[in-house]
Amino acid sequence: MSQAGGHQASTGVATGEISPKLGYAATLLIAALWMVPFLWMLVAAFNPQSIGAGMASLVPSYLPTLANFREAWVSADFPRYGLNTTIISLGILAVQIVTITLAGYAFARLEFPGRTLCFYLFLLQLMLAPVVLIVPNLTTIAKLGLYDTLLGVMAPYFASAFGTFLMRQAFRAIPRELEDAALIDGANVWQRIGFIYLPLAKPSLVAFSIVSVTAHWNEFLWPLMVINSPDLRPLTVGLASFTRGAEGAQAWGVIAAGTLLVSAPLLIAFALFQRAFVNSFVSSGIK
Amino acid sequence: MTTTRRSVLAGAALATTFALSPAFAQVPTEIELFFPVPVDGQLARDMAALLKEFNEKNPSIKATPVYTGSYDETLIKTRAAMKAGKPPAAVIMSANFLLDLKIEGEIQPMDALIKADGKTNDQFMGQFFDALHGNAVLDRQVYGVPFHNSTPLLYVNTDHLKEAGLDPEKLPANWEELVATAKKLTRRDGDRVTRWGMMMPSNYDYGGWILQAFTHSNGGQWFNVDYGGEVYYDTPSMLGALTFWSDLVSKHKVHPAGVQAGGAVSSAFLSGQASMMLLSTGSLTHIRNNAKFPYKVAFVPKNVKNEVPIGGASLVIPTGVEGERRKAAWTLINWMTSPEKSGWWSRATGYFAPNKAAYDTAEMKAFLEKNPDAGIAVSQLAFAKPWFATYKTVPVRKAIEDELAAVLSGKKQPKEALAAAQKQADEIMRPYVEQTALKLPTN
Repeated sequence: MSQAGGHQASTGVATGEISPKLGYAATLLIAALWMVPFLWMLVAAFNPQSIGAGMASLVPSYLPTLANFREAWVSADFPRYGLNTTIISLGILAVQIVTITLAGYAFARLEFPGRTLCFYLFLLQLMLAPVVLIVPNLTTIAKLGLYDTLLGVMAPYFASAFGTFLMRQAFRAIPRELEDAALIDGANVWQRIGFIYLPLAKPSLVAFSIVSVTAHWNEFLWPLMVINSPDLRPLTVGLASFTRGAEGAQAWGVIAAGTLLVSAPLLIAFALFQRAFVNSFVSSGIK
Repeated sequence: MTTTRRSVLAGAALATTFALSPAFAQVPTEIELFFPVPVDGQLARDMAALLKEFNEKNPSIKATPVYTGSYDETLIKTRAAMKAGKPPAAVIMSANFLLDLKIEGEIQPMDALIKADGKTNDQFMGQFFDALHGNAVLDRQVYGVPFHNSTPLLYVNTDHLKEAGLDPEKLPANWEELVATAKKLTRRDGDRVTRWGMMMPSNYDYGGWILQAFTHSNGGQWFNVDYGGEVYYDTPSMLGALTFWSDLVSKHKVHPAGVQAGGAVSSAFLSGQASMMLLSTGSLTHIRNNAKFPYKVAFVPKNVKNEVPIGGASLVIPTGVEGERRKAAWTLINWMTSPEKSGWWSRATGYFAPNKAAYDTAEMKAFLEKNPDAGIAVSQLAFAKPWFATYKTVPVRKAIEDELAAVLSGKKQPKEALAAAQKQADEIMRPYVEQTALKLPTN
C-alpha cells in the first residue's frame, strides 16, 4: 500500500503537477488552519469555566453549559440589536441594488461625453480609507437631520463604487445583440434592464450582495459614530459594550458566546444558501 | 375623608397651575453622556442603571447613556460629533486627554458653574484626592471632574510564593527584590517556560502607562507637568526604567517577550501561568471575583522612590454645550461624583473613588474591612503624580509605545529606542512649541 502511494506521489512530482490527493490534503490543511479560531470559539462558548488552564484547549474537557450564552444574552438586548443590524444591512443592500444596476448600465451601455472620466472618478472612491470620511460624512448626516438614526448609518453606503464597477463589468460581458433584439421587440430601457441585463448578471449581483451584507453586518466604527440612543445600536456595538474592557480582564467564555450569537444568523444563512453562493462566486470571478 | 378630598382638589388646582404656566410645562432637558466601558460588560448595564436612577430623581432632566467604545474611540466620537455640530452634554474622558482637548479649545472650563454654586475652585477640587488635580485643573481652571481613577498595582499569587519557599507576607518592594522573586517563581521545562515570574501589559495605552510607573519609581518625570510641549524620553531615569523592563525579558528571562495585551496578562495571572503582574487597580474587582487562589497586592516596586502615575477618567463638558443643557450636565456630573455614587462605582469596578468623602461612608468602611486589598490601592495615592498629558497626547504616547514594543521583541536596544522616540515626539509637538515656547517678540 505504502509503495503504491509513494509511486503515485513521485509520478506527480515528475510531471510537475500536484496530484489530486495532495491537492485535497493541502485544501484540508488550509481549511483546518482557518477553522482553528472558529472551533476555539465554539469550545470556549460552552465552557463552564471562563478563565483557567483549560481555557486555551481546543478539545472540550467539560460538561457543556449554556451559562455563557445566558450571561451574554442578558448583557445586551440581542433581539433589538439584531433587528437594527438586519434593517441596516438589508436596507443598504436594497438601495444599492437599484443604484449600482442603473449606474452600471449607464457606464456599460450609454454613450455620453466624459463617461470614462466619470467612471475613473467613481473608482477613485475605492482608494479612500473610510476613516478619513468619518467627520465630513457625520457633518452631512447631521445637516440632513439624520444624526442618531438608522437611516444615518445607511445613507453613506447607498452608492457603491465597487458594486457599480462589478455591474458594469457584468453588463459589458452580455452580448449587445440581446439588447438589440429586445429593442426591436419594442422594449423600453427599464424593460431591457429588467428582462435582459439583470437576469444575466445575477451571479454578480448575488456575489455583491454577500460582500455588502457581510461588510455592513460586521461594521463597528461608523455606527458607533452615528448612533447615540441605546435602542438603535447594531449588534457589533452591543457586543462590544460588554466584551471590550480597556483595563479589565476578559471573560473569554462570554465573549465567545456573544460573538457566536452575533455571527450565527450570517453563518446559518450561508449554510442554507451555500450552493447558490459558491456558484455565483465562481461565475463572477470574485474570491 | 374631607382632608383627602381637599388635598386632591388642591393637587388638581396645583396641577392646573403647572399646566398653564409655561415655565412648568416645559419638557425635560435632554442630555447625553458619552461613556467608554473601562472594565467589563456588567458595567455597561451598571451605567444604564445609574442614569435611570438619576432620571427618576431629576424629572426635569432626561439623560441618555451612550456607549462609545474604548477611551480612544470615545475621543474620536466626541470630536466627530462636535465637528458635526452635535456636542454631547458630558463625556467620561480619559484623564490624560484633557490637556490636548483644552489646547484645541474642545472642552470648557467649569469655573462659572462652580462659582454659581457658591464655591471657589479650591473648595470644589478639595473634595477630590490631591493626586488627581494635575490632570483636571489646567491653568488654574477646572476642566474635568474626576470620576474613576486608578494607579498601577503589583498583584502576587501567594500560593506560588509558598511553593517557591518564599514568605507570602513579604512582597517585593524594590527592583532588586522583584527580580530575585521573579527568578524563583519562573518555572522552566528545559528551554521552555511553563510559568512566568512576572508579566506586564505593553499594548497601546497600557504600555506607556506602565513605563511611566517605572520611570517615576526611578526618580524620573516623563513629561513637563506645566507645559504640554515637552517630554523627557531620552533621559537616564527613563533609560533605567526601559532597560529594567527589557532585562526582565532578555537577561533574567522571567517575563515573556513581545507585546502583551492587558487582557492576556490578567488571564495568564488568573490561570496561574504568571505569578506576578503589574496591572491597574481598575482590574481589582475582576481579579477578586475570578482568582481561585490567594493573592496579595502591593505598591509598584521602587528603585529610587515610591511614585506612580494616576490613570482613569474625568467628566468633561465639551465646548458648545450651553444654557439648560450645560446646567443639566453639571447636575449630572455632581450627582455622579457625589460620595455615595462615587463609592458605589468604586466597589463595582475596583477603581478607587476620587471623592475622599466616599471613604467615610458606612458601606465603604465595611467594604474595606472585608477587602483590605482595595485599601492598599488607595494608600498608594499618597505617592501618585499626574498622568502624562501633552499636546497630541495619543501620538506622542504611541511614539514611545512603538519603540517599547521593538525593545521587548529584542529588535532594538533601549538607548537607541529612546532617542528615536524622543525625536518623533518632538516632531509631533513642534507646531505647538513653535506657537508657544518658541514664539518670541520679533522686534
